[in-house]
Amino acid sequence: MNLVRAELERLSARRFVQLMVVLLVLAFGITAATTLAGSHRPTATELAEAQRQAAEERRNLEVIHEQCLARERGVLPPEQADQYYPPNCSEVDPALRERLPVAADYLVGVFTFATEARPLLYFLIAFLVLFGFLVGASYIGADLNSGGVVNLLLWRPRRMTVLGAKLGTLLGGVLALSLVASVVYLGSFWFIGQAAGQPGHLDDQFWRSLGTLWGRGLVLVVLATALGFAIATLGRHTSAALGAVAAYLVVWELGARLVFEILEVARPDQLMLSSHLAAWLTGRAEFWDNQACAGVFDGSCDGFYALTWAPALVVLVTLTAALTAAAFALFRRRDLI
Amino acid sequence: MSAVIEIEGLRKTFHSLRHGRRVAVDGFDLLVEPGQIHGFLGPNGSGKTTTLRALLGLVRADAGRMTVLGARSPEQLPRVSGRVGAIVESPQFFGNFTAHRTLRLLARAGGVPVSRVDEVLTQVGLYDRGHERVKGYSLGMKQRLAVASALLKDPELLILDEPANGLDPAGIREMRDLMRSLAAAGVTVLVSSHILAEIQLICDHVTIISRGRRVAAGRVDEVLAGFDRHEFLVRVAEPARAVELLGAAGLTATAHDDHLTVADVTDPTLVSRTLGEQGLWVGELTPLRPDLESVFLELTGTAGHPGVPRQVDDSVLPDRPTRDGTIDLDAGVGETRGVDA
Ligand SMILES: Nc1ncnc2c1ncn2[C@@H]1O[C@H](COP(=O)(O)OP(=O)(O)OP(=O)(O)O)[C@@H](O)[C@H]1O
Ligand SMILES: [Mg+2]
Repeated sequence: MNLVRAELERLSARRFVQLMVVLLVLAFGITAATTLAGSHRPTATELAEAQRQAAEERRNLEVIHEQCLARERGVLPPEQADQYYPPNCSEVDPALRERLPVAADYLVGVFTFATEARPLLYFLIAFLVLFGFLVGASYIGADLNSGGVVNLLLWRPRRMTVLGAKLGTLLGGVLALSLVASVVYLGSFWFIGQAAGQPGHLDDQFWRSLGTLWGRGLVLVVLATALGFAIATLGRHTSAALGAVAAYLVVWELGARLVFEILEVARPDQLMLSSHLAAWLTGRAEFWDNQACAGVFDGSCDGFYALTWAPALVVLVTLTAALTAAAFALFRRRDLI
Repeated sequence: MSAVIEIEGLRKTFHSLRHGRRVAVDGFDLLVEPGQIHGFLGPNGSGKTTTLRALLGLVRADAGRMTVLGARSPEQLPRVSGRVGAIVESPQFFGNFTAHRTLRLLARAGGVPVSRVDEVLTQVGLYDRGHERVKGYSLGMKQRLAVASALLKDPELLILDEPANGLDPAGIREMRDLMRSLAAAGVTVLVSSHILAEIQLICDHVTIISRGRRVAAGRVDEVLAGFDRHEFLVRVAEPARAVELLGAAGLTATAHDDHLTVADVTDPTLVSRTLGEQGLWVGELTPLRPDLESVFLELTGTAGHPGVPRQVDDSVLPDRPTRDGTIDLDAGVGETRGVDA
């Protein structure tokens, strides 16, 4: 317990951590301020006009769908025949669309929380993932290099305990910061929506989907933090983690992808961590399999395949756990100079 | 009483891809008994720091048996670590923390009352500047902080690797006084240093290492006695004549600029009598005792040759220690490598 308290003090005193927190607050402050400045509460007339436009657009979609169906039945009036309709009318069926136009789409200069919450949360998650990774790597990297670990081990010659306390404190700290940051962040924008914009349609389903994204984001932050810590421990240096990520991106995500394409390997996307990342965060990511439809030209072939969140999570967790275990195993035996 | 530190047959080899194998410690033995102030001497790169690191569980030994306060190292170290204060090769501290905070964190991690922090800062003379960032400390101040961190636990055994590194003359003297007072309070001290006059002043026992192997160990006076050639410095009016007279009396005398030295003198009155009988009055007759420095240079073969730069590993490679525990003081002396004068 004392070890954890000492580590927490050490962690929070790190310049880099402080800098990243300042950056987070700054980024947050600027987005919130500009949003606040550029948004106003819609007047009754604006609202009515926007609702009218949305309703009209919805009606337009209906009309196009009906005309498409009419063409299929061969009863389309000739004056509309030159318009383009897809061969399969379900593509323009409003009932099958992911979302229909709503009033918020036609309100200019009005911040609508319901439509903006997701992108805002994505931004925050991206920042926190980066934060966690960099802090995780630099925390142990700097400590290994500056002899901080050696000093501590002279006091507590239990390597696993010392490293475990460091990782535990780090994960706890980053998670706590992420929790607070995301609650404050979303809370402020919700408040902006209430006070200087409009909340939008906030039903159960909205909150459930936002909550899911939030939870998934936090898991990702924790994984990124552990990964940064593990790679920096393995490489004895902060830059090992940065180098490993850069090398992975260039060699695998770019280089290997190219090679796979040249060799016409099937479904290269499923070998990429970025695909699993997307699948985990969004719940399901679809990729095009350029082999599936080879030789099929009648359009009856569906070349898409999906990665879902559960296997994606297994991949991400296994990778992080394996690297962390390797880091602990190596640290246990390594000469500390 | 059982030994405080016992090392037997310690072996450590470093491997690197570019430079291959480097044997840093090779069958080294060390025995430190309770209450000793034990000097640990050796040329640069002879394996002192590596030995201490292995003893404290920081590097993994390839072979050998080590115990600290009766606990096997490294397996049982956690059992005794609260009683061992150590600094190994000028420890680094986090520059953004003040000395006070650094020590407080260590105290907390080790379960030591935080009130100790001010005590040790006072002890090493950093109390007034204890609330400044370590980044802004001078070399000697950092070294004092390191010593403070070792003292924090109120240890029974203090292991200091070159504690005087960077200390000013007053600091060196304070360090000496500190070690003496700690020893008087019953603390056992193992100290490595290159300041041999200092070691001779404070230590009662020494172990000398050269290229990873032990070349001498024991009480300081006994080690020195082994090198006592019973030499005397003699000042007389006519040195050349004196050499002749002493030679005739069966003594080996050598003339120098303004004095002569006489070796193997068992009875100094023989010198003054021999010369006095011939009307040569002895102005000075001083026994020349070997000091630790000359013994060290001879034992480790690092005395060097004028005008030839000595390389770090140009020192004596002693024979492997004999397993029956006796130490052969002459082991391998003269087997210097590299420099051929
Ligand atoms: N991490 C390492 N990797 C490779 N070789 C090492 C390492 N640490 C020490 N050595 C080698 O081991 C030998 C002993 O080094 P050590 O630091 O123990 O010497 P020392 O007696 O403490 O010297 P000094 O008086 O200069 O402090 C040297 O030859 C050194 O080069
Ligand atoms: Mg050393």
